[in-house]
Amino acid sequence: MLYFTDKQTQLADIFSRYPHTEQGRRSALMPLLREVQNALGHVPEENIAEIAALIGSTATEVKSVMSFYSTYHTTPTGKWHLQVCATLSCAIAGSDELWDYLVDELGIGAGEVTPDGLFSIQKVECLGSCGTAPMIQVSDVGFSECITRRKMRTQLEQLRAGANYLPDTVVPVFIQDGQQLNALEQKIGGKYSELEPLKF
Amino acid sequence: MPDTLIPPKPITSALDSRFKPSLYARVGIPNSFSLESYQAGGGYQALRRAFAIGNDAVIDEMKKSGLRGRGGAGFPTGLKWSFMPLKDGKQHYVICNADESEPGSFKDRYLMTEDPHQMLEGMIIAGFAMRASMGYIYIRGEYVLAAERVWAAIHDARVAGLLGKNILGSGFDFDLQVHRGAGAYICGEETALMNSLEGLRANPRLKPPFPAQAGIYGLPTTINNVESFCAATQIIRYGWEWYSSMGTEKSKGNKLFQISGPVQRPGVFELPLGATFREMIFDFAGGPLEPIKAIIPGGSSTPMMPWTDTVLDAPMDYESITAQGSMLGTGGLILIPQNYCIVNATWNLVRFYAHESCGKCTPCREGIGGWMVKMYEKLVRGQGKPGDVELILDMSDNIGGKSFCALADACLGPVLSSIKLFRSEYDYLIANGKSQYGGSSRWAD
Ligand SMILES: Cc1cc2nc3c(=O)[nH]c(=O)nc-3n(C[C@H](O)[C@H](O)[C@H](O)COP(=O)(O)O)c2cc1C
Ligand code: FES
Repeated sequence: MLYFTDKQTQLADIFSRYPHTEQGRRSALMPLLREVQNALGHVPEENIAEIAALIGSTATEVKSVMSFYSTYHTTPTGKWHLQVCATLSCAIAGSDELWDYLVDELGIGAGEVTPDGLFSIQKVECLGSCGTAPMIQVSDVGFSECITRRKMRTQLEQLRAGANYLPDTVVPVFIQDGQQLNALEQKIGGKYSELEPLKF
Repeated sequence: MPDTLIPPKPITSALDSRFKPSLYARVGIPNSFSLESYQAGGGYQALRRAFAIGNDAVIDEMKKSGLRGRGGAGFPTGLKWSFMPLKDGKQHYVICNADESEPGSFKDRYLMTEDPHQMLEGMIIAGFAMRASMGYIYIRGEYVLAAERVWAAIHDARVAGLLGKNILGSGFDFDLQVHRGAGAYICGEETALMNSLEGLRANPRLKPPFPAQAGIYGLPTTINNVESFCAATQIIRYGWEWYSSMGTEKSKGNKLFQISGPVQRPGVFELPLGATFREMIFDFAGGPLEPIKAIIPGGSSTPMMPWTDTVLDAPMDYESITAQGSMLGTGGLILIPQNYCIVNATWNLVRFYAHESCGKCTPCREGIGGWMVKMYEKLVRGQGKPGDVELILDMSDNIGGKSFCALADACLGPVLSSIKLFRSEYDYLIANGKSQYGGSSRWAD
């Protein structure tokens, strides 16, 4: 089924972000792929052709771009696509065991979907959340951070029970009123508000 | 000699009361990311000052500040801005590199989620200085909240007349757009990023031509890291003299340092360049939770350093870390615990670079993506043979400096340093078929 037929305003919005030239049109490729994938969980063959036509390219070229990135899928993913960071800081914090736990608990491997269609899993590389390792990304929604065994178990139970997924928003920055806090949580050094802006 | 004639000692410690954090100063303020909050704190005054002093003066002040690019390579920002042609009559672009994918780095993310207007203001100032009319912010696809906050900030800035036509009555037109990535480390390399933005496979481009001559859509383009733009905002607001009062002789200013691995308080800290590893790891991060053997100082591509007093007391600035055999990079420290097998840690990073190799050039595709990762898989499986380390060194010799972009060299950072510092662990693993470390659970209940 074509995806964008009844979404002309959305299409116009995406194309308006780039120059109105042939090259500019092509820049819309990634946002278009993301739209379809977020709606359908993957990008089916016919939508690849649809997007190719929209940007004035070919399906082969679109696939070649898709295969370059780890985010785009050509086969369906679960409702909740759990992407486990496997890179060093997360590995040191136990991401291998976290992965094994998910494989055991869900009974699937990479690229598979649970029979109820709820979950799929994928190992991914550093997600820029090393300070809150180990961590996973859930679909295109957000991160679950500082994951313990108990936290992972609870989260799976909640998602199975139909709860909506709420991402974490940990900010590991230790500053109060413009002044940093040392490891003993004491204010240390100067304060931002003591700086004098230049006159002009 | 009267006090005023004694040159003040440069600020090289965040414990110094003269050091005032600026980049993260607004973190923790309720709704710090909103335009209202940003302006209440004096936001967009730097832009007004930029308009008042003029575009050439902005570039001049950026040069004097001594700011060096915070995306990893450390190229002087003011100098880079001055490379843009001034009167070619073409459309110019400014790009913000918010791809942040170097393992161990997570500073740009909170700049965008907590204080996106600081970055936008820096980009508008940059656009004004470099006669650009359009800018893109390339945000890695996984940063969902960051993209939402930046998008909202752009919207609010447009409504307030801070983006669009005739900004604040200055006669300067400039607009911004967000482009989201889709999970490929190489997109952080500036020319690969441009290909990605153009909807192509993100292979790096040959340089020259440099982006200032022919960048996005073949037009003059300057690309900087998120933190570099944020620093620009602060420099134009508080002056290059303030900025260069922090840091060492050749490494000026403050920087966001990240720390991960087993420490009491992992996170991001704002320190002047020249602060020591000890200050970062102990005074701010609270010290390690278990014995440590190695420090990766600036993101995964920077060579490992041993956990010694000499290293801990070394200042974190571009020159000092280079003198210690590594690099400042993104300032992302990773601590590797004593009982974590170093071959396994290195394999983890080799696997990362192998996975992220774009396949364009042979030394990287075959060398890192093929041979190197296979060698390490064999080692960690306990199937290594005497001579394997020599083979890895020989391969490294054939890869180093021979690849199209810096990705392959980045992989050799951990490889060569781990062999140099921890050769005995490689030998033990090869002789015994298993590591002397590992096996114990690392995942917290
Ligand atoms: C493989 C590779 C990955 C890179 N990744 C990033 C990145 O994620 N973020 C970034 O700002 N710079 C990254 N860089 C550096 C950029 O190419 C470029 O130097 C930088 O964005 C320039 O900005 P700056 O001068 O403000 O640091 C990377 C470079 C290479 C070779
Ligand atoms: S290593 Fe997992 S988020 Fe960086």
